[in-house]
Amino acid sequence: MKLIDHVAAQIRELRTTYNSGEGMSQEALARQLNVAPNTVSRWETGLYLPSVSDLERLARIFGVSIVSFFPSDKVGGEDEALLSLLRTASQLHPEDLEELRRYAEFRKARRMYEGKSRPKAGRKRSRPK
Amino acid sequence: MNPDYYDLKKLARQVRAENGLTSTRVLQTDLRRIYFKHGIEIDYWPYRFRNLRGAFICDRFGTTVMLAQNLPQDPMVFTMAHELKHFLTDRDLQASFCDLSNINREIEIGAEIFASELLFPDHSFVEQMQSLGIKRRQCTPETLVKLKQQTKTTLSYAGLAIKAERLRYAPVGSVTKIRTWRKLEKLYNRQLAYWKSSRATGCAIY
Repeated sequence: MKLIDHVAAQIRELRTTYNSGEGMSQEALARQLNVAPNTVSRWETGLYLPSVSDLERLARIFGVSIVSFFPSDKVGGEDEALLSLLRTASQLHPEDLEELRRYAEFRKARRMYEGKSRPKAGRKRSRPK
Repeated sequence: MNPDYYDLKKLARQVRAENGLTSTRVLQTDLRRIYFKHGIEIDYWPYRFRNLRGAFICDRFGTTVMLAQNLPQDPMVFTMAHELKHFLTDRDLQASFCDLSNINREIEIGAEIFASELLFPDHSFVEQMQSLGIKRRQCTPETLVKLKQQTKTTLSYAGLAIKAERLRYAPVGSVTKIRTWRKLEKLYNRQLAYWKSSRATGCAIY
């Protein structure tokens, strides 16, 4: 399965099972993200790939890690730099530690994401001569 | 490491010279330019931290500095300078973070000294004190307000206070304990405005 299709399936799955299976409408999710409802629809059908920042926002809404949007074979094992950072940061305030962990995962997600977005739909404009 | 962090100060001055930083007003754009030159990626993290100001990570995903997006200008510039030190000297550690809990670790003290020297070198501070006619142990909070306003430096009042005490322009504990710099600034500005208007209208000042 391609990354874009995996991300699409994950978003749909998380949205429909949100709040102990109660689910959330695409419109409600779009409102929370401040995007158009058809944007959410396009993410879920795999037409568009959400940006990594959008994925971070989605992860926060659904209460999951950003890496959960990626196939497990791409995520790999524990990251040495992340572990090193969290070891030194053990005296941080728990909220800051959690935010730092989220940031480290965001970085990792961004690298997994690079060059994976589909070209935007629509007419290709030719350069003016 | 040299107890006076001489090498780090020298490095900071070298960075200033290499990047054409001649004034004591170092801006975010100046530091972004230096970061870009070294290939350091900046992430302005939009989510809330309690105490954390920034973090430096150098690993297989690249070299990145994360900055708390909601920091005001002066702390933002200082944090960027602080993280630059981690890039220049502590890359092998892979990662570090900066908040109030680890400020006393040697590596963090070094980064604070580097940042302070990068933004406002000691020799410039001495020159400014001389131009204001301030001798050793004569520096008051008012002097630092004047200094900050005259130079428009991005080094914070707290940073200036530490420098003033360390270079013995102010008695130990006389300015570093102050936590109400913005109030003092307003007060001195009001006094200055009053003094100027009194002079303009010819009123006597008692």
